[in-house]
Amino acid sequence: MKSSKVIHSTTFTTKYISYLVPALTNIGSLRASCDVDEETKKMVRYEVDMALALSAKGFAWSRALKHKLRLNYNDDDRVGDGHGEPVTKKPKTEHEEEERMMCLRKLIPGGKEIMADDEMLLSELGSYVSCLELQVNILRSMLQNN
Amino acid sequence: MNRALAETLTVLDRQRARVKWQQESYFSELSGVFSNHTSTHVHVFQGDLLSDESVLDDLVMTRQVKPDPSLETSWPELGKVDMAGMGFGPCGYSNGPSFDMNYAISRTFSCPPAVAATIAKEAMEVKGKESIVSENMGSAVARESSKKRKADKLHNSKVAADDDSKKTKACGEEEEESKITGPPNTNKSSTKQEPSADTSKENSKLTEVQKPDYIHVRARRGQATDSHSLAERVRREKISERMKYLQDLVPGCNKITGKAGMLDEIINYVQSLQRQVEFLSMKLAAVNPRLDFDIDNLFAKDVFPPCMTNFPTVGMSSEMANPSYLHFNPVQQVVACSGVEMGLNSPDIALRRTISAPESTILDSSFLDTSCFTQIQPSPTWDVELQNVYNVAFEHGRSTTPFPSQPFAAAGSIEASHLKMEM
Repeated sequence: MKSSKVIHSTTFTTKYISYLVPALTNIGSLRASCDVDEETKKMVRYEVDMALALSAKGFAWSRALKHKLRLNYNDDDRVGDGHGEPVTKKPKTEHEEEERMMCLRKLIPGGKEIMADDEMLLSELGSYVSCLELQVNILRSMLQNN
Repeated sequence: MNRALAETLTVLDRQRARVKWQQESYFSELSGVFSNHTSTHVHVFQGDLLSDESVLDDLVMTRQVKPDPSLETSWPELGKVDMAGMGFGPCGYSNGPSFDMNYAISRTFSCPPAVAATIAKEAMEVKGKESIVSENMGSAVARESSKKRKADKLHNSKVAADDDSKKTKACGEEEEESKITGPPNTNKSSTKQEPSADTSKENSKLTEVQKPDYIHVRARRGQATDSHSLAERVRREKISERMKYLQDLVPGCNKITGKAGMLDEIINYVQSLQRQVEFLSMKLAAVNPRLDFDIDNLFAKDVFPPCMTNFPTVGMSSEMANPSYLHFNPVQQVVACSGVEMGLNSPDIALRRTISAPESTILDSSFLDTSCFTQIQPSPTWDVELQNVYNVAFEHGRSTTPFPSQPFAAAGSIEASHLKMEM
């Protein structure tokens, strides 16, 4: 059964928080004795990304993100970033839109593998952008409250 | 709509009623969404990702919640028509971000040949007073006919197209030539954008010769009509529709007109969001052991106001649904039995509400005072339910397995329950 293709902010938020809060508490208790180090940061980052993937089911990018996270986690070298690409990008030349589409494909999880179709890429982008926005808001408010 | 009316309604009358009702309900949906937010967006994501065969199922299933005047009629043999029509109408409406009046009327993007033929037949039988209605019908069917030509659909569309074309031609010249699309699995070829463009162009193009073995797309005046360029045009229109939608989504894009500039902006925005997430997660990691998750505040104050991206769920417009949605019987039953047992069942309810949004938003609404419908008021029930969510989740979290399996355990359990609920 497929999920709804519509992003509802409160649904997403509830799911996201309900996943992330326990996971963070867990990390907190597990790493209480250590200082905040790379390992902890990676764990938190993992949970942050995983919460995103789980809260927005039914999209190609969320499936790809989940897949990437699990793959990366199983590897020993631990890429860590579920997006799989460095965040900074070279500035684009004045080339055609093709180049920009390629750039977008690299940004969205699963873009290169799944979204060969421009149309699909753009629709996935829509949901991805809104979920990212929601995620940022949630994280920000979590930090503000404390 | 009542019994007396039911006796005399034709399919098309019901369609018209449905259309009107949908318009009203959609616009009240919209006003509900827009009432409290300055920059709310009402977004619907296009179902391009759905497999072709499942489009219908999804739409019909998810749209079932709507009470519909036409459903109250006693036309059992046309029940299937209704379901299909109902499934398509709203879907058609929701297919694009631009809220065009034409949407509700004419947006059936694909219609099984049998269904369309039945509709056409009905139209013909009551031709007398149906001039207006049949025009709607004709335009509806004509609009659904803006499809790409696909030779492999010919065997499906042939018979229905024959019937339909003969009948609709008899109906008068105000009715455009109607061509039947193939079976529902023409998802890729179905254009959701064509109707509004077509309205303006229909008059300028003479009707084409009926070729029952092809799916016809309305070619516009002065444009090439071969299949490649039509396909290309359809594709381009879809892309521009998505771009428009993204333009609404990405702040500060209203002034940018070029596609390249838009894409640049989108890229920048996505990168900046990703950077923010990275930064915030690092901060979170730093603060984590000392974090005290104040859940009530989290929900009541900070999370919602910034989250202006308030999209409608399928069938629901906002968290606090319109009172009209409460009249949906099955949900009322759920409400009735679960309301009493709230204490016992709240973990279930809480989890359920996060997953099946349409049902659960109604649940929420009914728990709260019915007067609070236009605002998001999470406090009373959210607290209890959230506490229960966290209790459930904490139970999972407190197991003593080492960390590597922990994310998966937590994810697995919650995900498993998500999956279960979604079934």
